[in-house]
Amino acid sequence: MKQLAYYPGCSLHGTAPELDSSFRASAAALDVELTEIPGWECCGNTAAHSADRLLAAALPVNELTKVKTDMRLDAVAVPCAACFSRFMAGAHEMQDEGMRADVERVVGRAYPGGVTVRNLIDVYYDEVGLDELTTRVTRPFVGLKVAAYYGCLLTRPPEVTLADDPEYPTHMEALVKALGAVPVEWSYKTDCCGASLALCEQDVVIELVRKILTNAKACGAEAVVCACPLCQVNLDTRQAGIKTKDAAWQEIPILYLSQIVGRAIGVPESKLGLKKHMVDVAGVMA
Amino acid sequence: MAAIDTALAARVSAEAGTNAYKCYQCKKCTTGCPVAGFAEQHPAQIIRLVQLGDLDTVLDGDFIWLCTGCETCTTRCPQGIDIAAVMDEMRIIARQTKRVRKDAPFANILDLNLKSMKRWGRLYEVELLMLDKLTRPSSLMDDVGMGIKMFAKGKINPLPTVGDRTQMKRMLAEIEKIKGERS
Repeated sequence: MKQLAYYPGCSLHGTAPELDSSFRASAAALDVELTEIPGWECCGNTAAHSADRLLAAALPVNELTKVKTDMRLDAVAVPCAACFSRFMAGAHEMQDEGMRADVERVVGRAYPGGVTVRNLIDVYYDEVGLDELTTRVTRPFVGLKVAAYYGCLLTRPPEVTLADDPEYPTHMEALVKALGAVPVEWSYKTDCCGASLALCEQDVVIELVRKILTNAKACGAEAVVCACPLCQVNLDTRQAGIKTKDAAWQEIPILYLSQIVGRAIGVPESKLGLKKHMVDVAGVMA
Repeated sequence: MAAIDTALAARVSAEAGTNAYKCYQCKKCTTGCPVAGFAEQHPAQIIRLVQLGDLDTVLDGDFIWLCTGCETCTTRCPQGIDIAAVMDEMRIIARQTKRVRKDAPFANILDLNLKSMKRWGRLYEVELLMLDKLTRPSSLMDDVGMGIKMFAKGKINPLPTVGDRTQMKRMLAEIEKIKGERS
């Protein structure tokens, strides 16, 4: 049994409940025990790093300190890509001595370091492992063509995320293959979906999403798999906006990695949240 | 003619921890920027304006409020400039000097986001969406139909969950104290 601290982050308690439930259920089925960080606070997201560099570093370091010092764990699962990025950025900032002293003063105790931050892909790829995952598959996706979409913050900037290939990552493709599906080669896997601009610059986000999904479809994808709640919401909900401009638009389902892992290893459908999608996913998840 | 602030690049270097003077205008940042085509400026221009000390043109433009923070610019810069951190610093200066563009809706959202975080210890997404509509009337009818559909499908949890608010308050107070000591 692997032991990981769990930081759901605000989106998994707000607009991404299906990521939370499918992640928890698939982790449990794969013998990964998740313990939620008690009283976790917001990672700060774009709001903090657009307002105050010290605040942006202190918020995630406060959580990392809880994991190591209070929970006595060495790794934390952070399925939201934006939270993952802030956790990695916080740890990165601790390399600067002046910043470290300020952050420790703000947090109120010493930062012990030594906590590995795992995003959604890492939990399956590094903690569970491809071989183990492959042996657990009971309901493989037979030949389903999938575009693995990483978005921005899982890989960029590589000095912070420690991603081995920030422009053309492939870990998610390896996972998709282990589940019996066929990953497609495509050009937009690390392009930005518009993130929280979706709340105020809808036309920009609709255009960015249109470009991403047009490329996925042109490369043969029947579904897109993602590992970030903001990406999923934008790619899923903004197709209605694309349709108002282009009546011939063919919708494409947008799934979470945790949902396809769950489906393939036999997690009950009630935990996967498949009815919460705007674009119907029943066809590809049947 | 915009006022020139000769100390701007030095301030950005110190605060954002990156040297804007290294830029030689290859425009790799602009080429990869997802929002350059929608904005009045593009990232390479912002870096040039920082080198020139022309803060007014940066703050009068809309680029810094359209930047999504996707980090493509930072990742691809051949000079290793943390361009996204420069954009952060421009937003920080805009707020500190109360020069946020009036028609920048993203600034309002970031403000509400910080307030929500202070109130609950976490971001309460539904509250943010509602307060944004109330404080920015032009957005009132945006996405209402979609919001109702998402709610009906159980895609949105309407209730807040609460973090360790005592620690959140303590951390924010300590940051203010540190700032006070250094100003």
